[in-house]
Amino acid sequence: MALKKLEMELKPFTALGEGAVALAEDPVIPGWYVDPATGQRVFYDPVAGKFFTAAGGVYIPLGYMNPAPKQVAVAPGDRLMVSISFKYTGPAVSGVTGYYCIGTNGIFGFDEKLVQLTTFSLPQVTSPPSYPNVTNSFTFTIPSNVDTNWDDIYVKIFGGTPSIGGQATTNYVFGYENALLVAGIQPTITEFKISDFAKV
Amino acid sequence: MVLDIAFAPMALAPTNFNAGDTVRVTVSFKYVVGVNKTVMLLAGPYSTNLFGKHLVNACVGQAEITLPASSTLAEGTGSVDFLLVPKSSGGIEDGTYGLRVWIEDTDAVAEQDNVIIVTGNSSGGDMLSGMMPMLMMLLMMGMIMPMTQQMGEETG
Repeated sequence: MALKKLEMELKPFTALGEGAVALAEDPVIPGWYVDPATGQRVFYDPVAGKFFTAAGGVYIPLGYMNPAPKQVAVAPGDRLMVSISFKYTGPAVSGVTGYYCIGTNGIFGFDEKLVQLTTFSLPQVTSPPSYPNVTNSFTFTIPSNVDTNWDDIYVKIFGGTPSIGGQATTNYVFGYENALLVAGIQPTITEFKISDFAKV
Repeated sequence: MVLDIAFAPMALAPTNFNAGDTVRVTVSFKYVVGVNKTVMLLAGPYSTNLFGKHLVNACVGQAEITLPASSTLAEGTGSVDFLLVPKSSGGIEDGTYGLRVWIEDTDAVAEQDNVIIVTGNSSGGDMLSGMMPMLMMLLMMGMIMPMTQQMGEETG
């Protein structure tokens, strides 16, 4: 089957001695925390491994999802390559985990359906690059039971030596909503409109 | 300063129909689906009031559409007929209605208010239904009066 590609570009970041690294360890107990970067009060759920903020009386996960710049049509059996790139400045880091996830983003968080991990290294970079200098990717095979609402994707990177952040606390998370147009068992229909109506 | 206001034209023009007419609705759409699939296209008129939109169920028509499998966006079309069942047969009253079309078990729905103008329901049926309560009352009185007369004769 066809190989489709989806590229994601993370925001530039540095990994050494600049705030983000101080968040390397996940909190161990549930409760309210203050994000040192923004001052925002956030709730941490260690079971879900996620941070939430309260809005309108409900907890919502902290925002990291963005409108997809394009939609990639996929069907069962297709291979979908999700690649990330970002600008990195800092020391060499080995064993960084890339966490690639396909699922459904909703008001109560991201319902993860397909998750795959990669491991890669960051090179030592002393001056900020003018273009993305790190790339990584994973190729999913779309399963036969794919549902049409598995159309969101997010990727986060964490861990490594020295650590760039914990799995739940990493700042390096980025996602696209409605990135996939899934050709599942049920049809996905768009641009549905009445062309004409008349007496016969 | 120039204030430029333009009203977008309605996509569909209001059209007159007679009760008893058959209306054919044609739709276009794009789709993806992993397997060959047959879906049900439905269409019918709806009325609108303070409490929302109300489909005239007696007039809803349906037709099957076959969608060949396609993992990239494919063009689809379909048509469905529905009958404007006259009010005398439990159908639609004279008036102005919206048109709704949808594909069962999907999010595909399109509708537009005030495009179906129905006339031509026979007034005879209307008169009969309007007189029905009065006829029922007369009928009941006709049954009760002899009974009361009989009771009066017995007590007298």
